[in-house]
Parts: sequence; structure tokens; C-alpha cells
Amino acid sequence: MLEFWLFVLATAGIYTIFSLGLLVQFGIAGLPNFGNGAFMAISAYAMAISVVNGLPMWAAAPVGIGAAVLFGLLLAIPTVRLRSDYLAVATIAAGEIVRYLALNLQELTGGAAGTVNLLGPGIAADYNSSWLRFQSGVRGLISNLVGQRVPSDVAFIAILWPVALLLLAAVWYMVRSPWGRTLRAIREDETAVAALGKDVFAYKLQAFSVGAALAGVAGLFFAWQVSSFSPDDFRPTLTFYAFVIVILGGKTNVWAVPVGAVLFAGIFAGTRFLDFWPLSVFASGDRAYLRLVLVGLGLIVLVIWRPQGIFGNRREDALET
Amino acid sequence: MKPKDAILSASHVGMRFKGLVAVDDVSLAVARGSITALIGPNGAGKTTLFNCLSGFLPGAAGSVVFDGRRIDGLPPHRRSRAGLVRTFQIPRIFHRLTLIENMLVADRAQPGDALFGCFMRRGATLARTRAATEQARDLLALLSIERLADDYAGTLSGGQRKLLELGRVLMTDPKMILLDEPMAGVNPALGGKLLERVEHLRQERGITFLFVEHDMEMVMRVSDRVVVLDQGRVIADGPPDTIRADLRVIDAYLGRADLGASA
Repeated sequence: MLEFWLFVLATAGIYTIFSLGLLVQFGIAGLPNFGNGAFMAISAYAMAISVVNGLPMWAAAPVGIGAAVLFGLLLAIPTVRLRSDYLAVATIAAGEIVRYLALNLQELTGGAAGTVNLLGPGIAADYNSSWLRFQSGVRGLISNLVGQRVPSDVAFIAILWPVALLLLAAVWYMVRSPWGRTLRAIREDETAVAALGKDVFAYKLQAFSVGAALAGVAGLFFAWQVSSFSPDDFRPTLTFYAFVIVILGGKTNVWAVPVGAVLFAGIFAGTRFLDFWPLSVFASGDRAYLRLVLVGLGLIVLVIWRPQGIFGNRREDALET
Repeated sequence: MKPKDAILSASHVGMRFKGLVAVDDVSLAVARGSITALIGPNGAGKTTLFNCLSGFLPGAAGSVVFDGRRIDGLPPHRRSRAGLVRTFQIPRIFHRLTLIENMLVADRAQPGDALFGCFMRRGATLARTRAATEQARDLLALLSIERLADDYAGTLSGGQRKLLELGRVLMTDPKMILLDEPMAGVNPALGGKLLERVEHLRQERGITFLFVEHDMEMVMRVSDRVVVLDQGRVIADGPPDTIRADLRVIDAYLGRADLGASA
């Protein structure tokens, strides 16, 4: 059981950081970016590729985040002026383009087999050993502290969650700041914001980049956690899950993101334990897909009966233009 | 008028939508510190002209000089920064922001408005927020909506939204304000106060006003000068009393049949 909760917490931490970026883009600035998973992918790949090409991990990490931001800008510059429904379509397409590029640029990414093939087939590429060394150092520290050997997931969580909380606090402060207020005003009526003398385009690029950077951080932790990943880890559903988490929390509520992420990860990972009747009539392999159905069903129920999310403000939501 | 006295001078401004000529070679100068009314029947091109002046219609022909500087070709936010700000016919308020927040968005001296500004200039941001909030509350009081300051703007009535929009524009410390039908939907008692405010702002702060309005009583009472637009052209331009008697204006508003002899 402990193992289960550790897994939930680790997944939730990564989702927290990832969804936080979406909250800035979608919840605050009103930019529905369905391609956010691509930023995560780009950061993970840029970091892994840099490491196998000889860059130390701590230098490769900022390279990953930088690549995510750069791609974010590249995507945002032509699309961010689009009306929100068109933006959603354009970003989902961009996300898929990135995934297919990763699948097909085998020399660069290892292709469908994943990052083990980063150095070409037949050579097992490893981008993760310095991270694992760092993690086992932390694990030893914690083990000494509590007086017994802890699972390595504990060390991962002990590194991940402080970073997540720090980012949560930073984003919370930024959202409340005049910068965040201007973004919310853009979400409400960008024409009026331009009439008041603000460069709406520049603000949208900033919001997009902040979201991409956060997705980049999430991508790094994801890569470190799994040791090898492939393009299929960044399917569009990844971004949809983040939307579920952000909507679950009420779209603008920063502190609801980790709660939504834990809830989501718990339900998502927990559904594999749904082996009681009537669910037990399904084969266990089918039940794995059942959780997707349940998550989707949950979202539908949520938007019908509680469109403001769990922590959202119904009054505020009713004012939607 | 000599160009020197004009804060805004537009020459040969034109805008066409496919075959329709919405604004047809309009030249117009607005004197610094004046209150000018822009009137005309529905579809005369008043709002289109506003959009040309404020930059919301890229591709307009002609030139616009504001405060000694060419502004045509500048995007809307740059024109606004230059001190030429506008309101909209249907008020554009930020529904899910409070009234105070609506006002604060318009603040231009806020260092925290920049990305990471709230971290890098934390003290200055907080200090400016305090000062600007005070200023915003004063302005809301001036417009008699201060008791709603912490409500969401989306809960306001149509008339109150007009007032909030005016207040927001005043937060930018403008040189000139373009008002698109400021009186529409505002209750008459409040409307009277609004007029006083406009005259007061002109006197105290030297703000120039150009406004579109259908309320003729307001037009005649406050404006120094009236410009009449019909079918995209300026058909009359002069002090209110002259305009009142101008047959072309009566013609444009009421149609030829009512004119009898001059037809």
C-alpha cells in the first residue's frame, strides 16, 4: 500500500508542475494550450540528448527548460493571436507534430524504442546515472535521518515536492501580482486591455513561455523518474489530464492544483485495484482501460454539475462573458 | 483652426469594407482642451472613425497626428500610451475582475506589471499598488460607484459599466479621451453628473474630449463644437448653435421630405 501512495505522490508531483503551467496559460490568460505535453517532451529529450552527448546533468537540465521555452515561443508567435477555439486546434496539432518528429527522427531521439536508443541501436544509452547517484545520496541522507532504509521513491518525492511547492508559491505570487491581473484582464477582454495601452501580444507570449518552462521542469522530473522514455509517453491525453486537474481545481486556483493532481493520480492509479464486482467481470487488461472511461465520465459529471470545479467560485464562473 | 492648436488632426482618413465606404475622406482637427461632439445618423461612420483614430482598424487611409506626432500605423496600445484613449459603445469591462481590479489594470506606472516585476521590484510594486488603489477609489467615488468597488464588474448594470469604463480610462492619465456614446444607458440624474465631470476634467486637467452621442441635449449643452457625419463624410462642422440651424444636418437626420423648400 505504501508503494501505491508513493507512486501516486510522485506522479501527482510531476502533474502538479505540469498543470501549473497550464493554469497560467489557460486558467489565467485564457489560452487553451492543448500542446503543453510537447513542451514536456522537448525538455525531457533535450536534457537526455545533452547528457548522452557529454553535458553534465545540472547543465543539461536548464538546456531542457530552455528548449521548452524556445519551442513555446516558436509555437506562440504565430498562433497566440488566434481566437481560443482555433488556438486549441493549432496547439493540439503542434503537440502531435512534435511527437511524430520524435518518433521518426530516430538518429536524434532513438525513435519509437525510446531513449535507450539515443546513441543508435545496439548501444544502451543512459542519461540518468548522475540523477540516480544524486537520488541515492538523498535516499541515504533520509535513511540516516529516520533510522531505517527508505524506498528510493521516497527520495524522489523528497526532491520533487519541495521544487513543486516552491514553484506553486512563485506562481501563486505572480498570479496575484499586477502581471497576473493584466493576464486575467486579457482573458476577459483583450481589446479593452489594448485600449488601455498594454501590449497584449507580449503578455500572451510571456504567459505561454512561463507555462512552457513549467512543463519543461515537469519533463525533467518525468525523465529522471523513468530512466527511459519514448514519444508515446507524450500522447495528447497527457495534456488532457492536466486540463482535468486544472478544471477540477477551479481553473484559477493555484493551491487547488496539487490537490487536484493527487486526486487525479490517486483515482487514475487506484482504478487498477478495482477488482470487485461488478468490475471484476472485466478482464484485468480491460480494466486498465476502464480507468480512462471513469476519468472521462468524472470530468463530464463535473462540468455539468459543478462547472466551477471543486474549489472554484460559482459566482465568479456565472459571470463568464 | 491652425494645426498648432490642434491636439488631434486627422487628414483624409478613409476606410472601406469591400464595396462599402464607411469613412470617406474625413479631415478633422480637434482643439486642445476642447469638447467636441461627433454626431450623425445610424451608420454614418462615427464608430468606424473612432476605430480609425484609435488604431483598431488597421489599413485605414489618411494620416493622424496626435500631440505633434504621427500615430497612424501605430497599434492601438501605442496610441493609447501616447495619451489618446477611448471607451467603447458597448462597454468592455473585465467581468470576473472586481471594480478596483478593473481600475488597476489601467495603471501605467506599475512596475509589477512586467513579467517577474513582482519579484524584482517588490517594494516598488507594493507601494505603487497602494497609491494606485487609493487613486482608483477616489475615481470610483467621483463616478458614484465606490460602494461597489470590491464587487465583480460583471454584476454592474449597463449604465454602471459605462461609468467604470470612463473611470478606467481616467486611470491612464490621458491627454485626450474618445467617448463612444457615454450617456447611453446611464440614468439621467447620473448622466447630468457625468457631464459635470467631463467639463470639470477639461477645466482641471486640460483633458480634450471627442465624443459620439445621440442625446442632443447633452451634445448642445457641453460641446464647444459639433461635427456632423453622414454616409462617411463630414457634412457640417461648427458651434452647436450653428449646427442646430444647419439644413443639411436636419436633412441628414430627418430625410429630404421634411425639408420642403430646400429640397
